[in-house]
Order: sequence, then C-alpha cells, then structure tokens
Amino acid sequence: MDLGLRGKRAIVTGATKGIGRAIVDLLAGEGCDIALCARSEDEVESAVREVATKGTQVIGGAVNVRDADAYKAWLERSVAQLGGCDIFIPNVSAGGGMDSEKNWWKCFEVDVLHTVRGCEFLTPHLEKSGHGSIVIISSTNALETFYVPMAYNAMKAALITYSKQLSQFIGRKNIRVNTVSPGPIYFEGGAWEMIKSTNQKMYDSTLRAMPNGHFGSPDEVARVVAFLASPAASIITGANVVADNGFTKRVQY
Amino acid sequence: MTNDPKSDSLTELELQELKERSKAPNYRKVRRVPESDGPGTPTAKAPDPDLPTLIIPKERYTSADHMQREWQHMWTKVWLLGGLEADIPEPGDYIATEIGRESILLVRQIDGSVRAFFNVCLHRGNRLRPSGISSAETFKCQYHHWEYGIDGRFVRIPDLDTFPQGAPPCRGLRGLPCDTWGGFVWFSLDPNVEPLRTFLDPIPQHLDPYQVPKMVLTRDITVEWSCNWKASVDAFNESYHVQGIHPQLLYYLHDLDIQIDCYDRHNRYLIPFGTVSPRVRKPPSIPDPIKSIMKTAGMDPADYDEPLENLRRDVQAHKRRTGASMGKDYSQLNDDQLTDDYHYLIFPNVTLNVHADDLMLFRQRPHPTDPNQMFYDIWTFELLPDGAERPARPKHQHFQHGDKSIGLVLDQDAQNLPGVQEGMHSSGFEGLWIGSQELRIRHFHKVLDDYLEGRVGSAK
Repeated sequence: MDLGLRGKRAIVTGATKGIGRAIVDLLAGEGCDIALCARSEDEVESAVREVATKGTQVIGGAVNVRDADAYKAWLERSVAQLGGCDIFIPNVSAGGGMDSEKNWWKCFEVDVLHTVRGCEFLTPHLEKSGHGSIVIISSTNALETFYVPMAYNAMKAALITYSKQLSQFIGRKNIRVNTVSPGPIYFEGGAWEMIKSTNQKMYDSTLRAMPNGHFGSPDEVARVVAFLASPAASIITGANVVADNGFTKRVQY
Repeated sequence: MTNDPKSDSLTELELQELKERSKAPNYRKVRRVPESDGPGTPTAKAPDPDLPTLIIPKERYTSADHMQREWQHMWTKVWLLGGLEADIPEPGDYIATEIGRESILLVRQIDGSVRAFFNVCLHRGNRLRPSGISSAETFKCQYHHWEYGIDGRFVRIPDLDTFPQGAPPCRGLRGLPCDTWGGFVWFSLDPNVEPLRTFLDPIPQHLDPYQVPKMVLTRDITVEWSCNWKASVDAFNESYHVQGIHPQLLYYLHDLDIQIDCYDRHNRYLIPFGTVSPRVRKPPSIPDPIKSIMKTAGMDPADYDEPLENLRRDVQAHKRRTGASMGKDYSQLNDDQLTDDYHYLIFPNVTLNVHADDLMLFRQRPHPTDPNQMFYDIWTFELLPDGAERPARPKHQHFQHGDKSIGLVLDQDAQNLPGVQEGMHSSGFEGLWIGSQELRIRHFHKVLDDYLEGRVGSAK
C-alpha cells in the first residue's frame, strides 16, 4: 500500500528521541521533508544529521515550545524553508509529576498550548496543502486512571477533546485531525528506562498489564501516526487511535 | 575443562574479549570546588596509599581465631563511639553500651564531664544496669545492693564488716578513658590509649564545619545482621556496588567520579549527588530521586527548565543564596558540601554519610562470640532550621534483619550481606578481589593489620 507520503512536508515537535524521533525517521523514509525541534541544540543537530541520511530535506531548530514567540518563529521558518506544510505532529510533552501547582501550568503550556498554537498557526498552510493532516499525540493516561492524579493525565485528555472539536471546525479546509494515544512505550533514554531503575514496582506492575508481556516501542507508534498523517487515511478524522499494546482494559465501542 | 585453576585461565583472545565487554564507561569529570586544606573541610586530594593488590583472605571474616585477635589487638586498643552527649545532659544521666562481651557505663558527672566505667559490680560480677539510656542517682547492684556513686566510687557495701579482707582495694568501679567530640561520647578499653583528638585526627577538622551537635537525632535503630562487622563496613566504603544493588541511585549520584582520600587510620570519599551516573542514558525528565534533593533545598522541580547537567550547581547556588533565610547556616561549608555526600570511615567501625542538612551515622559492632553476626546501629540526624521546635527523641528500636524495613537503599544493602557472609565460607572462594574503586576497603584492612601486628596502638 502506498501511503502517498512522498514529497509531503512534515513538521514534528520534540523529535530527537523516542516516539517523535521514530516518527521523523519513518516519515523521512517514506519520502517526507522534515522540520523537527527539541530543546537541546546538540541533540537537534545530530538528529537532523541522522534523519537526513534518508535522503530528504531535514531541518531543525533548538526551541523551547513554552516560549510562544520563539516557537512561532521556528514554525514560520520551517514553513518557509520546507515551502509549505502538509503534516503537523505536535509531540512535545512536559511529562508527569506532582511536584507542585506549577506542573499544571507547565503541562498546560507545553502539552496543550503548544499544540493549539501550532495548529492555529499552521492551519492556513495545511489548507493550502489540500491533504492537510494533524496528528496530536495524547496518551492512554487520558483514557484510564494512571498512577496519580497528575496534570499530565488531565492535559492529555484535553488534547483529545480539542482534536475532535478541531477536526469538525477545519474539516472543510481538507485538514484532517486525529489523535494517537500511546500506552507506556519503552525506549533507550525514555521515561520507562529510568522508571525501571528508580521505581521497580511501578515498572513491574505496568509490564504485567501488557497482555503480550512487553512494552510497546516508538516504531510501533510511529507506524500508526504515519498512516493517520498520510493521504491513505483520508476517511479518518476526529478519531483517537489507541496504540497501547493492550495496556488499557476498557472496552472501546 | 579441568579442575586445575591454573590451566583454567583465559586465553589471550578470551581475555581481550572480556576486557572489551567489561570496560568502565567514559565520563566527563564533575565540577568540584577547588582543592583546599582549609579552613573548613579540606577538599584536597590525599595521595593514594601504595597498597599491594593481594587477595584479602576470607578468614578475616569467618574465623573465630581472627575475631579473637581483633579483640585482643584492635577493639581493646582504639577509641570507640559510645553514644550521644545530648542523651545525657544532666549529672547522673548515663548510657550503657556494649562492645564484644563488655558493657560500659558512660556517665555525666557533676562537673559536666563524662566518665566511663565497666558496667560490672566488683562483688560477684553482676551487670549493674541493662544496656540503654537512663538516669541514676547511684548505681546499686540488684544482687546484694553494693552501691556506687555516679563518679564510680563506693557509696555503700552492705555488711562490709562481714568481709574479713575488707573492701576491694580500689575506690570503686573500674574506669576507662572517656572523652567527647562532635556531640559524641567516646571511650577506650585501653587505659594507655592516646588522646582522643590524636586518634581521630584529621576527622574533627573535616566534620566540625557541619555543626553536628546542632543536629537532632531522628532515628535510633539497631539491627542484627547475619554477617561479619567488616562486611558491613566494606559495603559502605565503596561506590562500585551502586550499579549492582542500588539501580535507582544511578539516577541520583555519580558513582564513578569519586574522590577517595585515605588518611592515617581513617578515610573518606566524596560522592557528587544531584547528577546522573554515566552508566545510564540522560533521562527525559528530572529523576524522582534528584527531585527530592531539590525539594529539600526549597526548589520546585516543576519550575526548573534547565538541562539536567546544570542541576547540581544550581541547587548549590540556590542553597547558598537562600540558606540563611531558611534558617540554615551553611557559612562553614563549601558549595559541593551543599549537595554531595562526604562519606567518612572513623576507624574501626563508624561510617558517616555527612550532608549539609543531615547525617547518617552507622556503627558496626561485632557479635560477642560469632564472627558471622553483628550489630548494625543506625543513627540519623537532621539539621533543623533555627528556631524550629526540636522533636522528641526517637525511641531505640532493636530487631533482626528482615523484620522491618530500614528504607529502600539500606534494605538493598542489608538483603545482600547475609549472602556475602555465606559465600565467604565456600571452599570455592579464597578472599576479596579488590579494585581501585574499593581502595578504602584495602586501606581499612591495612589499618586493621597495623593493629593486629602491633604497629599501632599503645605498647602493652
């Protein structure tokens, strides 16, 4: 099946490692030009260098998406350099934590506002594409209770509602909007690798919840994201696709 | 394969492959404060002692004969930590503490000094007081009511006129050298022991800046561990085992960039906290163990957006800036001391994890008769902010290993040690194969040998 991704221009935030990195690797492999960002300049540089080996145009910027002006400037630059935008994948997250009320502000700014700002800024460009597609990265933490009542879970839930609403609102511009909710994903340098050492009990109980006995991987999530982002998924919009390796236990009617 | 260990050695190629698989990771050195000899805690690196790389024979841990030699040549020649001065503020307050088969009374005197006596009645040898902390007007033996003052002198010997030989030819209880330093009471079983300060040198210069006497005791626990006391000392004297049994600490401290300093008898190492081990990848967020460091310092991890590698320095700067307003006096400490673990061994049996805001002190005492058992005493202290209400003294707890948790890290150490002791009895094991990360263990055994072979200690 040809996904129709060749020549498409994708902007992906938080793409130097983990799920974001797997997404840009896959999209570049399918022939997409890529703009990626992350906070660390060194990591952006090496990601750009490595992803570019797939042979498409890859550009990157070191940006903290909490900084609205810097973030918008980067989006603007990316659109200009790529010559437009067909795919937007807001992937950056502030992650979990219950340290203080500031976690709520941080998750709101990073997980929610960076998604909203990106979608709003890029809508005119995605409209021009004719095959515009936004894939928002949420989490199964939004769907079932997970661990503790942290801002991360609630803000990821907000993204699902926003995504559905947005899909109706900009549907007539031929922009599809979907959400992917990954379950716990293990990768080197990821949160679960750390949790395996710092909180063995939590790691073990999470692993036990996986019917096939292992964590999902970034590549598996990336394939779902790439499909939804592609013209091949033309009929799907407003969906929340759970990519969790069977981690959640609810029945999805 | 053959059973001859000599013909069992690796081929050149196998050895190369093993080395390749087993390399310590490379790392960038942690930024430290400049080397200094003081004032304050010296930070200068002491030259490493030149010690042979020989196996440390396992019999040191398992043999009753060795245990006896330790008693005769070491335990009875050194200064020993007896208790806390704060526990005996008033004249007559006393600590009855045990070492080996001896029990010692450490008694506050009317003039404010502390004196030590053998806790034994001169009449028939009865113990005068059970071990623990209490207060006495006199020490009266429960058996025949021989009575001694808090200064040890005879007060009354019932029916003394029925002893044709008279009273024992002394003033009362047999005394021992006793002195105080650092808020602690020390005693020695050797009447000719050198002065306490000479013995402790250079520890007071190192630890006085922490103002330990201003800290309050928060835990007082004795756990009976099934291992030789030295196996416990060894466990706290190297960071090599962090990757083995404390995986969570790899996201808390640097276990390879350790400054080891060996002095005459005592030694220490300096472990950077608030940083991640080079054995693990950079995590995506601040690890929970490091968050706890930030919270103690009054920093909000949710409000920290800097790269992880800046965190240790930023915590130090934050504490330096806000310490006084939080009621903490860090003026005598260097910046590294505000985050790092300065870990000391006061020979032979006191290990201390010293931090700006707290102290974890462990005293390892041998079992009176069994080399395979020991008493592990935990005293933890906290520096309270100025003006804070002092909490009640925690009650002493005493239990067997495994009966209760003593916290994740110490549980991990504790679970490991009985297996170490068991294994040492195996005929398939000769002794300890010690690396440079474990230099303090080698130094400790060298000092122990100095005592056993009569090179130090009083001439007697």
